[in-house]
Amino acid sequence: MKGVRAVYLVYLAVILLGIGYAFVLAAMGR
Amino acid sequence: MSGVDEPTYGFLRNNALSLTFGGLFLITLGGQALSGVAQVNAEQEANGLGRVGLLDYATSSSFLVDVMENWQSEYLQFFLYVFATVWLVQKGSSESKEPGKEGTESDRDQQLGRHASAGSPGPVHAGGWLTAVFSRSLGLVMGALFLLTWAASAVTGWAAFNSERLGQRQDPVTLVGYLGEADFWNRSFQNWQSEMLAVGSLTIFAVYLRQRGSPESKPVGVAHADTGQTG
Repeated sequence: MKGVRAVYLVYLAVILLGIGYAFVLAAMGR
Repeated sequence: MSGVDEPTYGFLRNNALSLTFGGLFLITLGGQALSGVAQVNAEQEANGLGRVGLLDYATSSSFLVDVMENWQSEYLQFFLYVFATVWLVQKGSSESKEPGKEGTESDRDQQLGRHASAGSPGPVHAGGWLTAVFSRSLGLVMGALFLLTWAASAVTGWAAFNSERLGQRQDPVTLVGYLGEADFWNRSFQNWQSEMLAVGSLTIFAVYLRQRGSPESKPVGVAHADTGQTG
């Protein structure tokens, strides 16, 4: 299950990074 | 998942579904960026303005609001679906439980408390609030991701809306002002309506139509009236 857990964590990370990136761009007024 | 008699497959085969959709996500996101910058440049050209580079576009709120407004509607859909399917049923649909099983079900059905097994996840054995939160974690995470992506679509939509207004020599609006703008609600509703239709149609189509071998469908030979069987 280690590989499955890694895929799960990558999905979560990509989603949260995408959301964070959106907030950063908006804060920069870009 | 750790039974001794289970055949072992490699990483790629074990995760084929998630990896395939993850790859398709990246390809289609790239497609959105490429077609988006082409559209912006067509408008720039029509207005006699300079071209915008791909990197500039991919780091702009105009690109991110389009990404986030679609993400938020997907997570709203899953959040509503995960919670609604606890309490509501559709007779004959593989997407639903049997009529009569509405609700959170017994500890025995859910392998909780003294019905837990050695293989049950850690929070199941912990008891108390940890078990209570874990018992709702799928819906809670989908709901949290909906709120976060919706907020992200609001702030990027606000930034993009204001940069467009500045281009037209109009005063910028505040974030609260933007939440009252038609632009924000139109972006939200146009995505929500499609998700609601898609979920509703999958639920009811799964009563009468079949896909051999798919867990999204009932086995081909199962009667239309049978609910909650996947094959």
